[in-house]
Amino acid sequence: MSNRTLPRLLQTPAVILLLIWMLVPLSLTLYFSFIRYVLNNLRRPEWTTPSFSNWRGFGNYEFVLNSKDFLLAIQNSLFIVGSILFLTVALGVLIAVMINKAFPGQGIVRVLLISPFFVMPAVNAVLWINMILDPVLGLQGLAVAGINDLIASLQGAPVVGWFFSLWPEIEPISFRATQTSAIAVIIMVTWQWTPFAVLIFMTSLQSEDQQQKEAAVLDGAGTWSQFRFLTLPHLGRPIAIVVMIQAIFHLSLYAEIEIVSRGNGNKNLPYLIGEFANNNIGAASATGIFAVILANIVAIFLLRMIGKTLME
Amino acid sequence: MAIVATTTKFSVYGRPVLAWIVGLLFFFPIFWLVLTSFKTDADAVKPEFLFFFTPTLDNYLNMTENYDYWRFATNSVITSVFATIFALAVGIPSAYAMAFNPSRATKDVLMWMLSTKMLPAAAVLYPMTFLTKSLGLFDTHFMVIVVLMLINLPIVIWMLFTYFKEIPKDIIEAGQMDGVNTWGEVKEILIPLAWGGIASTALLCFIFCWNEAYWTVRLTTTEAATLSKLIEGNRAPEGLFFGRLSAVSAAAVGPIVVLGWFCQKQLVQGLTFGAVK
Amino acid sequence: MGRIVLEDVTKSFGESQVIPPLNLTIEDGEFAVFVGPSGCGKSTLLRLIAGLEDTTSGKIVIDNEDATQVPPSKRGLAMVFQSYALYPHMSVRKNIAFPLRMAKMSQSEIDKKVEGAAKILNLADYLEQKPGQLSGGQRQRVAIGRAIVREPAAFLFDEPLSNLDAALRVGMRLEISELHNRLSTTMIYVTHDQVEAMTMADKIVVLRAGNIEQVGSPLDLYHTPRNIFVAGFIGSPKMNIISGPEADKLGATSVGFRPEHTDVSKTEGMWKGRVGVAEHLGSDTFIHVHDTGLADMITVRITGDIAVTHGDDIYLTPQLDKLHKFDADGLRMA
Repeated sequence: MSNRTLPRLLQTPAVILLLIWMLVPLSLTLYFSFIRYVLNNLRRPEWTTPSFSNWRGFGNYEFVLNSKDFLLAIQNSLFIVGSILFLTVALGVLIAVMINKAFPGQGIVRVLLISPFFVMPAVNAVLWINMILDPVLGLQGLAVAGINDLIASLQGAPVVGWFFSLWPEIEPISFRATQTSAIAVIIMVTWQWTPFAVLIFMTSLQSEDQQQKEAAVLDGAGTWSQFRFLTLPHLGRPIAIVVMIQAIFHLSLYAEIEIVSRGNGNKNLPYLIGEFANNNIGAASATGIFAVILANIVAIFLLRMIGKTLME
Repeated sequence: MAIVATTTKFSVYGRPVLAWIVGLLFFFPIFWLVLTSFKTDADAVKPEFLFFFTPTLDNYLNMTENYDYWRFATNSVITSVFATIFALAVGIPSAYAMAFNPSRATKDVLMWMLSTKMLPAAAVLYPMTFLTKSLGLFDTHFMVIVVLMLINLPIVIWMLFTYFKEIPKDIIEAGQMDGVNTWGEVKEILIPLAWGGIASTALLCFIFCWNEAYWTVRLTTTEAATLSKLIEGNRAPEGLFFGRLSAVSAAAVGPIVVLGWFCQKQLVQGLTFGAVK
Repeated sequence: MGRIVLEDVTKSFGESQVIPPLNLTIEDGEFAVFVGPSGCGKSTLLRLIAGLEDTTSGKIVIDNEDATQVPPSKRGLAMVFQSYALYPHMSVRKNIAFPLRMAKMSQSEIDKKVEGAAKILNLADYLEQKPGQLSGGQRQRVAIGRAIVREPAAFLFDEPLSNLDAALRVGMRLEISELHNRLSTTMIYVTHDQVEAMTMADKIVVLRAGNIEQVGSPLDLYHTPRNIFVAGFIGSPKMNIISGPEADKLGATSVGFRPEHTDVSKTEGMWKGRVGVAEHLGSDTFIHVHDTGLADMITVRITGDIAVTHGDDIYLTPQLDKLHKFDADGLRMA
């Protein structure tokens, strides 16, 4: 009532801004997804301006669903996201448990470990795909060449030469091919986001009940049992949160895909949308709606979970 | 399965050594980037100069010439700073209202704000391009600032909200009894008390703005292009320019990584929306 | 001036009404204490007067002016919170000066008033410290200092002593009483502790579930409680209340007699019982008596010492002129 009105009104600017930000582009996407809308078409110039008279119903959705790229992009999205989630959580738990207890230089190790998270995605991709993973000039290429040279020189050695002459020459892997570039993306994103998982698990481990652990030791629980029956359940909730937050971020992964695998067929949903958006806006918009639905499925679970802790 | 085999000896010596190895391994790519940035383009791809080479500063000195680095860097600074300022200007009053004058809808409003963050950007790619172009805002600082602010606003409000919630309501009420108006509550009590939280929120928001790589790439060409765009535009030098590309990349991430060290604790709260403590 | 009148004030949170229509007048200069068990609405009532909660209906009149819609900052009241609610980022001096600064008072006048308050409250040595460096009692004094410099129409205290330890609480109780004597300003004091109410109040307001059960001076409430609830709430140890055939014999549905108004004998009396725990305080002895057939336990209080031990037989006789008789509705009979 009276004197709390103004303070309550203070949230309106943020609400209005976010409302516009959410509703305007999304309703345009929805609208475009139901009409024929392309940027260039000499035979049907009327399709190049959005209009209700170009109504296509679910035609764009059918087109997208039937296109080979869409299925591929969905598969790829899920493969990439799934692999990253598995790796970051597994590595994250291991590392967090390992560095949680105090040891000399713990602070420095923490700083070293968290650094990748702050590297901008574009640099992350450029760094990995060129300087590290390049099959000829990157560290990988140099290392492989070095090993091959070593083997070649040993083949001429007396006594053991015959053994090394049986070795095949090692082939460096090109991470710019369709399948391998997905792996490159998984490697670089895992590198970037494992620190995030570590940080969250460490924060959570610090709130672990130490008396409970001591009680467990008195009850005869070994290190493994403590980890399995106390620590891991304690981490259940943070793991769920890490999984969901990452899922949302990685479903819209873009810069890494764009940089690593432009045009080589390794697409995810955002990349496919970008491709469609070069001409076929209707299809891009329909794909966008699919992406929204996919993200919403994860988001609902995440929001439920966060909502529970809110207002406590 | 190191954990099974844990003995006292392992805890005392093995664990720290392993931890250091993991830490160095994760830091290695950054170290490598910085190391490469001190090599000439030619040396950078030669195996004999892997670790031992004659360091040169040329790559840094020629950043302007090679990449027009400072123009992109200036754009990054301008857009990130203003986006952060505006996000705080809108976010502080909003978080204050929700923390101290909640209504029954507050929880839902907060959740809804968060849900806007979860919309995939790509879904609205064309409408955004279309709107900015028709408003004549394509490739302008203004547009980049607005978009950066909007995508970070939910996180900013959430972080501020969790910090503000920690301030006892009594203190705000004492202020009311002592005769402050709404503006006074914010200025005299809230901001001084939550200063640390506001600073870390600002820092994190700035980092996110700086690293943003979807809209800054798609909504700019040259005028308002940021460092993300610069790096993305030089993605594949095919080994020709590893030295200079490393230098410009290191210059793009260096300041942010250092800033990040200072707010790693807040990061947890900010990114998990207070759900992990 | 500080006369506060509540007219048909109600307060609901959503569906549940925590304050049913309530009327109350607090006279200028009075020390009024709201007392009742937790959840009785006493703090809500105080917050309504302060303006920190909006009334659902009814009127709050402060010094003959309708203040119902006036924001807390404009009501001219000062409040001392249970948690003290000091501004942790300001020194003691700035804390006390804060309301004056908000009132745009000149710096020299602020300084004079802060020094004055600091002298009264023995805070002169701590003025430059932050609240975090002070003890609980000192923080409490700062909170009071912040209230008195404003010269408010009335002081509102919300359980101000409950965070202090027992010894300090007694001391602060005296200080607040003395402050009231010196300033003669209206004070409204909320507590769940009936001892605080009895020792400090001019007027006690006993609340239960948002209803006023009785308003009166401490001795009024002690001698003539209006109903069983007030009878049981005021006085320590609690009044013994019995019902059943023994009460019928005394001519009431329920009969109450205070522990200190009960005669004790080892040989004869009205009721026979068995000694449970006997608490020997030296000046007094509290005896908890079982197996009387009246209630689970009857408490009696004897001045001085008496040699009884656990399991002894004992005879009790209430002082008949100090009996409290209640009817079937729990209300006092004539």
